[in-house]
Amino acid sequence: MKKYWGIFRISFQQEFAYRLNFVLWRVRNVFQILLTYFLWSTVFAGPGTQIFGYDRAKILTYVFAIMIVRALVFSARAMDVSRDIAQGDLSNYLLKPLSYLKYWFTRDVSSKVLNLIFAGAEFIILFLILRPPFFFQGDTVALLAFTASIILAIMIYFFILFLISSIPFWAPEIGWGSHFLVTVVIIEAFSGALFPINILPQGLQSFIMATPFPYLIYFPVQVYLGNIQGSALMGGLMVALAWTGVLWFSLKFIWQKGLKVYQAIGR
Amino acid sequence: MNRAIIVDNLVKNFEITEKGPGLTGAIKSLISPKKKEVHALRGVSFTIQPGELVGFIGPNGAGKTTTLKTLSGLLYPTSGFVEVLEFDPWERKPEFLKQISLVMGQKNQLWWDLPAMETFELNRAIYEIPTRSYQENLKELVELLDLEKLLETPVRKLSLGQRMRMELTAALLHKPKVLFLDEPTIGLDLIAQQKMRDFIYNYNSKYGATILLTSHNMDDLVDLARRVIVINEGQILFDGALEELVTKYAKEKIIKATLSKEDGIADIEKIGKVKKLAFPQVILSVPRAACAVAASELLQNFPVDDLTIEEIPIEDVIRKAFKGGLKR
Amino acid sequence: MTKKIKKYFKIWWMMSRNSFSAIIDQKLALSVFLIGKVLRFIFFFGFLYFLLLGTKTLAGYSSNQVIFFFLTFNIIDVISQFLFREVYRFRPMIINGDFDLVLAKPLNPLFRVLMGAADVIDLVTIPPLVAATIYFGSLLHPSFISVFYYLVLLLNGLLIAAAFHVIVLSFAIVTLEVDHTIMIYRDLTSLGRLPIDIYQQPLRAFLTYLLPVGIMITLPAKAMMGTMSAMGIILAFIVGILAVFVALRFWNYALTKYSSASS
Repeated sequence: MKKYWGIFRISFQQEFAYRLNFVLWRVRNVFQILLTYFLWSTVFAGPGTQIFGYDRAKILTYVFAIMIVRALVFSARAMDVSRDIAQGDLSNYLLKPLSYLKYWFTRDVSSKVLNLIFAGAEFIILFLILRPPFFFQGDTVALLAFTASIILAIMIYFFILFLISSIPFWAPEIGWGSHFLVTVVIIEAFSGALFPINILPQGLQSFIMATPFPYLIYFPVQVYLGNIQGSALMGGLMVALAWTGVLWFSLKFIWQKGLKVYQAIGR
Repeated sequence: MNRAIIVDNLVKNFEITEKGPGLTGAIKSLISPKKKEVHALRGVSFTIQPGELVGFIGPNGAGKTTTLKTLSGLLYPTSGFVEVLEFDPWERKPEFLKQISLVMGQKNQLWWDLPAMETFELNRAIYEIPTRSYQENLKELVELLDLEKLLETPVRKLSLGQRMRMELTAALLHKPKVLFLDEPTIGLDLIAQQKMRDFIYNYNSKYGATILLTSHNMDDLVDLARRVIVINEGQILFDGALEELVTKYAKEKIIKATLSKEDGIADIEKIGKVKKLAFPQVILSVPRAACAVAASELLQNFPVDDLTIEEIPIEDVIRKAFKGGLKR
Repeated sequence: MTKKIKKYFKIWWMMSRNSFSAIIDQKLALSVFLIGKVLRFIFFFGFLYFLLLGTKTLAGYSSNQVIFFFLTFNIIDVISQFLFREVYRFRPMIINGDFDLVLAKPLNPLFRVLMGAADVIDLVTIPPLVAATIYFGSLLHPSFISVFYYLVLLLNGLLIAAAFHVIVLSFAIVTLEVDHTIMIYRDLTSLGRLPIDIYQQPLRAFLTYLLPVGIMITLPAKAMMGTMSAMGIILAFIVGILAVFVALRFWNYALTKYSSASS
């Protein structure tokens, strides 16, 4: 356990070592939020506007909640696994008495803590400047469900990153390309980071809700806001849990196959 | 023009930021970064005539590469005067750049995934080399460096030695008057090193190009440079003929012997100064003039399995020179 | 003077051809990236479509107009990426010291690191984008002069984009610490996917005068809609030329600070 604390510390330090770099990374996050915030603010500019079942208060709360959920779920280093495999650095880790998966998960957690601290600060600052109508959840059940959904979201994201990062076992030249396609483009669109999934027509919604992506951002935020309750809430959590399981088993399977290929080539 | 390169009191300082260790160190450097000034060159002066082949030696971090980069216009002098071929290198005028070339061991200008020929063609356009000269130069260089069969092979498929020769070709197509070579033999095996040295020597005598090369490998200098500039910690310690440097500071040679039997080993100190004695290895240091005699005495009187005679490592020569003060 | 232009065009052509040849047999990687780029466009377009289905207008602009803003953003974004792809490879070039060899040649180093490798993928993405822009543009029924202003301001937008890229390059020389400056630029300009009218002051002023994303993207589209005066065009150009000037000064300054990888 001690060694994982050591990994946590050194990972935290490393991200922070390049101070300017990190600060600018947070600035980028803020920019991304700004677009979303102002877009929705403008859409709902007219008083009493009600579209897609949202009003101004609800939608802006959604946007602000995303700030925190993003820091919790999307802050991750596991994308770098792809590079380890493509460049053969994986060998170094296989030699060590360390679970590769746990190693990266620890690094992810370290990243999340660091980013959460800053996201919290940004939340406060932007809250004071923009003064959105924000809804603070009080219901214990909702909060518990929210925590559960966050944990599931973190695990789903972690497994997805690892799965995509496994592609270099077979095709090292599309290591970054695959992440671009899935982690950047597809997740950006389907996770709810840009828009709440339920502004889309029903058919499209059902399709997306069957994928793991909306359970990263959209689902946890809606649970927090109390927009999903009762049987719908249980159903959602079940789907998220199912996806966690499916991704976990796929990962185990693919990873074993991949390691065989990796060691056969002797990179 | 009677001086190809003039350097007068060149000073170059760099600024680096220090980061403290640990978590607190990282956070501290966020709030109040510590800046340190590195004095890479502390007033360097020398002149070089056209056609000279000069070697720059010094340990790592001495300032050799910094000097070379300032002379080719890459770095901006903090103070001092620099003139190459009657140009100010920093201005990087095209007329200036067309007459010089910079080759750095293990750094490449060749496009990685394509045959070297493509880079040559590109350089032809960049240096505006007339077709006739281009074709003649290319033919000569390819013959000299034995590259005919490799011109259409993608660069990434070439061995290190082959790549270095291609780099040289690319660097010499425009027949530069001044050639800056930074560690040209680094990473090469002994045979490739020798080939590289032979080529440089021939190029200098055939075309009269002024060649300035840096190295921390003594063999490069022994073979090539008649004139040597020793630099350490940003200052010139010696500037003159190689023989002078050797006789002045490397007054001794090293004999390394492997003995098969241990008896009588204490007497070995009669032959020379014992630097290390750990059976079966013994290392002696012997005055230069007496070296051959000492070696034969060793072979006659002791059970020697193996024997080599070496130069004192350049770092030791320089350390010695520095301890003796800045003498010329 | 023309001799120089010819020389640089010839070299640009050779370098672009080289970068095409180098990458053309990585078909798998190319396809993955192409799919990614296309999907990214489709997803945001789809989002706008469904959004406008519900709201009908945005900040006073009609659906077609909003889409046209988005398309204009893409035109500038894609053409910049096509021309300036080499900027993404600059930082590794500095770190491994290859930039030294670039500086030692009689070819303007800025030219080399800014435009040294046109991106072949965009040869695929540009034509359909141009077609879509023309289509949606025509739906706005612009006058001849509006189209003219549009094209002229588009050029101005590209000039500002070039200036931004030069500043990113200069940053990479001055501080090795930041490895994602170019992405910051991308995030900033992606604020222009929608008309900057949606942003509150002072952010809107910031995006217009300080980091002229608004002038780059929103203004050309507005010109197409006939809401720009000749005066506005002239002001936009002044900003564009100023941006290039500042960027070049910063680049020259950065070179004096160049410390080069150690040997």
